[in-house]
Amino acid sequence: MRTNILLISITTLIYACSPGRYVKPLEKKQQAVNVSLGGPLIKYGAATIPIPFLTANYGYGIDSTLTAFGSANITAALFGNAQVELGVTKQVLKQNKYIPAISISPVLNIIYKNKDAKKLYPQLAINAFWEYGKHKNLIYAGLDNWFELSSKRAYGINQPNHWIFMPMIGHSFNNKKWNFNLEAKIIAPNISNEILVVDYVTPFKTHGALGVYFGCTRKF
Amino acid sequence: MKKYILITVVITGLTSCFTLDDNLFNKSKLTEYKLDNYSGDVDFHLDNSFYIQDTMVHLFTLNSKATDESNATTIYALYIGDISKIATDTVIMYCHGNKDHMDFYWQRAKLLANTKSKNRFGVMMIDYRGYGMSEGKPTEDGLYADVDAALKWLKSKGLSNDRLVMYGFSMGTAPATKLSAESYSMKPSKLMLEAPFASAETMIQDGSGLAMPGDFFTTLKINNAEEIKTVTQPFFWIHGEADDFLNIDTHGAVVYSHYSGTYKESHRIPAAGHSTIQTTMGFQPYLKLVGDFITQH
Repeated sequence: MRTNILLISITTLIYACSPGRYVKPLEKKQQAVNVSLGGPLIKYGAATIPIPFLTANYGYGIDSTLTAFGSANITAALFGNAQVELGVTKQVLKQNKYIPAISISPVLNIIYKNKDAKKLYPQLAINAFWEYGKHKNLIYAGLDNWFELSSKRAYGINQPNHWIFMPMIGHSFNNKKWNFNLEAKIIAPNISNEILVVDYVTPFKTHGALGVYFGCTRKF
Repeated sequence: MKKYILITVVITGLTSCFTLDDNLFNKSKLTEYKLDNYSGDVDFHLDNSFYIQDTMVHLFTLNSKATDESNATTIYALYIGDISKIATDTVIMYCHGNKDHMDFYWQRAKLLANTKSKNRFGVMMIDYRGYGMSEGKPTEDGLYADVDAALKWLKSKGLSNDRLVMYGFSMGTAPATKLSAESYSMKPSKLMLEAPFASAETMIQDGSGLAMPGDFFTTLKINNAEEIKTVTQPFFWIHGEADDFLNIDTHGAVVYSHYSGTYKESHRIPAAGHSTIQTTMGFQPYLKLVGDFITQH
């Protein structure tokens, strides 16, 4: 049962490991579309591979410090699940030389298949970022937080984890119309992966998983 | 034109409704069965004291047909024991796990054939469709049909319900439980489950660490935790406390707690993993547990 069933578990991570959406808000009335690809690294046979999860995103700059966005998880759609993320990114602190700018992103992650299979996960990401250079490239680090609201799992078993946090680090290469983004994220380093059926690759060995992502953004 | 292609791709994607069902099954193929001469990985090797004479090992094919199928599928079966004595012997129907095939599980089946004494009980094992040399593609209904094909064969050789013991390991606990709970060709008198899983949903929740509905990923109805509720026969559960694949508390203990039949016994084996119960506790202590359950309940 062990070998191929790993896909069951890894695919569930679709829902818990999309990359950070907007670290820095868009300009006022600016629009952007983004496609990102990537996921947690796993051992698959002799190879270490990222699970190729695909998401598409649209963002709109309400003002220069506040961007609203919505995302659709394409991979989830292929499984017949409608998964959307609705949220905003608010910059709360400007960069002052080496002191980073700070932004926060509250998000509602909604997954729906049918009336018996639906979930809502609140998320809160906190990011610190530094702009540098002529093209205002971006280096950022942050903490994405997922909250499991259910107290029970199948058969009345207590849900053990209600807070899943994901430290992340990334870099965005920017020009006038396009951004290219690379991000690495430690998914749930507080949760043991030893009883899971998947061999996740993680610097913490027995805990969490390491995710890598590539994103491409077109601004209008 | 590009617009129509894009729309077609999007609609196709959104309506595809992939599931992970096909990935549940391993589908390991063989070109021949080697049994004692099998050189691939196995969970353990038995020494010569467990040797079974060639005359007591019978490899043959069966025709298996699920209710919604028009054509039968040829599957391979193994009977360990004297076929002419099936009419009077007690037989253990061994439903193997998802990994590999009968060559891989030969050592386990051979061990069971030594329960109480050598060949005291007959042992029947099959390769589900798509496994080993069996033809076809694995499906959930196919699992049940294939085990039922083995029961039909046993019944044709004179086995009665009161001498049939159903034993399932890991994925094999699904057909073992299903065919004990519902009306098939035979009704086993006892059910034994080694490292059972509760349901596909529990696997998903264990895998993600989140309370996710199983329907997000699978249409499989495999659900031992529900199926066991209608089992009334005496029930034996054994599970490794260090099982890192099917967690003892979220899987096995749930199945055990849902049983409400006439008799049940549980054996939580300290330090044993998913596939190491026999080696952790020792072959003879394991066989004693199995044998005592079969003969005393």
